[in-house]
Amino acid sequence: MISLSDIPARGGSPFTPPMFVFLLALATAPFWLEAVGLYSYLGIEITIWILYAMGFNLLFGYAGLHSFGHGAYLGVGAYAFGLFQNHVGVSLWGGLLAAVLAATIAGAAVALFVAHRRGIYFALLTIAFGQVFWFCAIKLRWLTGGEDGLLGIPRPDLVIGPLRVSLQENTSLHWFSAAILGLAMLGLWRLVNAPFGRVLQAIRQNEMRARFAGYDVWRIKWLVFTLSASVAGLAGGLFAMAQESAYPDVMSLHQSGLIVMMILVGGGLVSFWGPVLGVLVYFIARDIIGGITETWLLWFGLMFVVMVMVRPEGAAGLAHVVRARFARAPVKTPVSAPAERSA
Amino acid sequence: MYSLIPHIVNGLTLGLLFALIALGFTLIVGVMEVINLAHGAFFALGAYFALATIGGSWFAGTEFGIWWSSLSPGARYASGLIFGPLCAAGAGMILELCLRPTYGKAPLYGLLLTFGAALVIEELIRLVWGTGEQSLSVPQAINGAFLMGGLIFSKYKFYAAAFSILAIFLVWLFLEKTPYGAIIKAGSHDSEMVRALGFDLGKLRLAVFAFGAALAGLAGVIMAPIWGLRPHIGIDVVIPAFLIIVVGGVGSFWGAVAAAMLVGLAVGITGAYAAAWSMLSMYILLILVVGFRARGLFGRKSALEN
Repeated sequence: MISLSDIPARGGSPFTPPMFVFLLALATAPFWLEAVGLYSYLGIEITIWILYAMGFNLLFGYAGLHSFGHGAYLGVGAYAFGLFQNHVGVSLWGGLLAAVLAATIAGAAVALFVAHRRGIYFALLTIAFGQVFWFCAIKLRWLTGGEDGLLGIPRPDLVIGPLRVSLQENTSLHWFSAAILGLAMLGLWRLVNAPFGRVLQAIRQNEMRARFAGYDVWRIKWLVFTLSASVAGLAGGLFAMAQESAYPDVMSLHQSGLIVMMILVGGGLVSFWGPVLGVLVYFIARDIIGGITETWLLWFGLMFVVMVMVRPEGAAGLAHVVRARFARAPVKTPVSAPAERSA
Repeated sequence: MYSLIPHIVNGLTLGLLFALIALGFTLIVGVMEVINLAHGAFFALGAYFALATIGGSWFAGTEFGIWWSSLSPGARYASGLIFGPLCAAGAGMILELCLRPTYGKAPLYGLLLTFGAALVIEELIRLVWGTGEQSLSVPQAINGAFLMGGLIFSKYKFYAAAFSILAIFLVWLFLEKTPYGAIIKAGSHDSEMVRALGFDLGKLRLAVFAFGAALAGLAGVIMAPIWGLRPHIGIDVVIPAFLIIVVGGVGSFWGAVAAAMLVGLAVGITGAYAAAWSMLSMYILLILVVGFRARGLFGRKSALEN
C-alpha cells in the first residue's frame, strides 16, 4: 500500500500544473455546467465541499487524526454566519469572520480534550463532541431554531472598497466561493509542503518518534485540529449563504461520516488532490445515480465498501499506480511498516 | 425523591438493554480489533426480521401464511425472538467475510468498512420495509401496565429488564464456563497464540462476529416495542453502544455492563429533570470519564490506540 509520503511532493513549487487545471475548471464551471446537463447550483455546492474536505484532509490525511465529528464545525460556521446576519448586521465579511471565529473557538476548545489522544480513542471522542454540538443545535431552539434551523439567511453583497457586487445570482456566488477556495488551496498547499506539513506526516507515521525528535506533538495536534475546524467554519459560512439557511443535519454523524467517505474514495490518504476527487465522485454519484434510483446511497455505500476492501488508497492512489505503470517503472512498494500501521 | 423511582427503573432497564448491545460490540472489538459501526445495523436487522416474522406478511396468502396467522401471538413472538437474531447473525457473517482484506491494516479501515456497511444496510431496510416508523407488537401477557406502591410501571419494561439480565448471565456463563468461551477469550488476548495452538482463527472470527451480531439483533427485538422501529435506528443505537465500551474500557465484560448501567441511569435521571436533554448526559459522561481515565473505567491497553 502506498501512503502520502511515498508520493514525491514537488516541494518548494508554490504553483503546480494540477492547480492550474483545477482553478481553470473552477472558474469556467458556470459556462459549461449546464451544457453537460448539470445545474449551476451544483458548482457552488461542490466548491464549498471541496474547501471543507481540503481543510479536513489536513487533519485526516496528513496528520492521520481520524475525526468523525467534523460536521460540527461546518455547522457552527453556518450558524454563526446566520446569527451574525440576523442579530448584528447584514455583512459578508463580518459574517464570514464570525463563522471562522466561532468554528475556531469551538475547534480549539474540543482540541484541548482530544489532542492528547490517538487512534480509535481520538475518533470516539470526536464523535462524542460532534454529537454534543449536533444535539445542542437541535435543542437550543431559541438560538438555532431547532430542527428547522435558521431560515432566510441573506446573501450579503460583496464589498471591496468602492466595489459592490451582488451575490444573489448563483454564478456570482460561485465565483466568490471559487476565489476563496483558490486562496485556501494555495495556503493549504504551502502549509503541507512547509516544515509544518512534514511534521504532521511525521506524527501520522510515528507519533512517539516525532516526540523524541523534539517536536511538541500535543501543540501541533491541537493546532492542526483548530486550523482544520477554522477551514470547516469558513466553508460553513459559505454553505449558509448558498443554502440561505443553516440546519442541524450537516452536523449529524451521518454527514460527518460522509465527508470521511469522500476523502477515502478520492484518496485523501495518499494525495493532496484526493479530497477534490472524492467530493466530485460523491456529488456526481449523487446526481447521476440519484437521478436513476432513489436508493443511490445504497450503491454509493456498496461502492465504498468494495473500495475499502480492494483499494483503500482511493482514486488518487489508483491514478498513482496507473501512472507508475505507464512510466514502466515498478510501482514503489512501501518499506515503511509503521506508516502502514497508522496511516 | 419518591417520584424519582420510575425514572431510576427506566434508567436501569435502558442500561440493561444497552449492556446487551454493548456486549456483542465488545466481543467483536476484543477478538477482531474492529470497531464495528454496523453493530447498530444488526440491531435494526434483528428487530425488522422479527417484525416480518411476527407479522407474517411475507408469506400472506399461501397455505403456510394461513397456518402461521392461526398460531397464537405468543408463539409467533417467540419465533420472532429466535429468527430475528439469527438473521442478524447471518448478516454479521457476511460482513466478517467482507472485512477479511482489512485485517492487519490500520483499524481505520475496519471502522470505515463497517460504516459503509451500516449505510448499505440502512438503505436496504428503507428499500424493504419503507421509511416510516413501525411498531412491533408484543403478546398480551407482557403488555400493559401494573401498579406498585402507588406508581404505574410498564410490564414490558420489567420483562425486557429480566430478559436482558438472563441474556447477560448466559453470555457470561458461555464465556467463563465453556471451552468455546475460553477460546474466544484467548482470541481477544492473543490471537496469534490461539492460531499457533491449532485453532482456526478464521472460523473463530466468523463465529464471534455471528455471536456479537446475534446479541445486537436480540437487543433489537427486545428494544423495538419501547423505542419503535425506523430505518436509522441503527445509528441511534450504535453511538450509545460504543460510548459504553469506551466508558467501560475496551474488552472488559463487567466494564461494559457497569458502564451501560451508569449510562442508563444518567439518561434516566436526567430525563426526570430535563427530558429533552436526557441523551446529552451520556456524551458528557463519556467526556468526563475519558478526560480523566484514558482507557475507561476497566480498560486495558489495546492495539486500537495506535
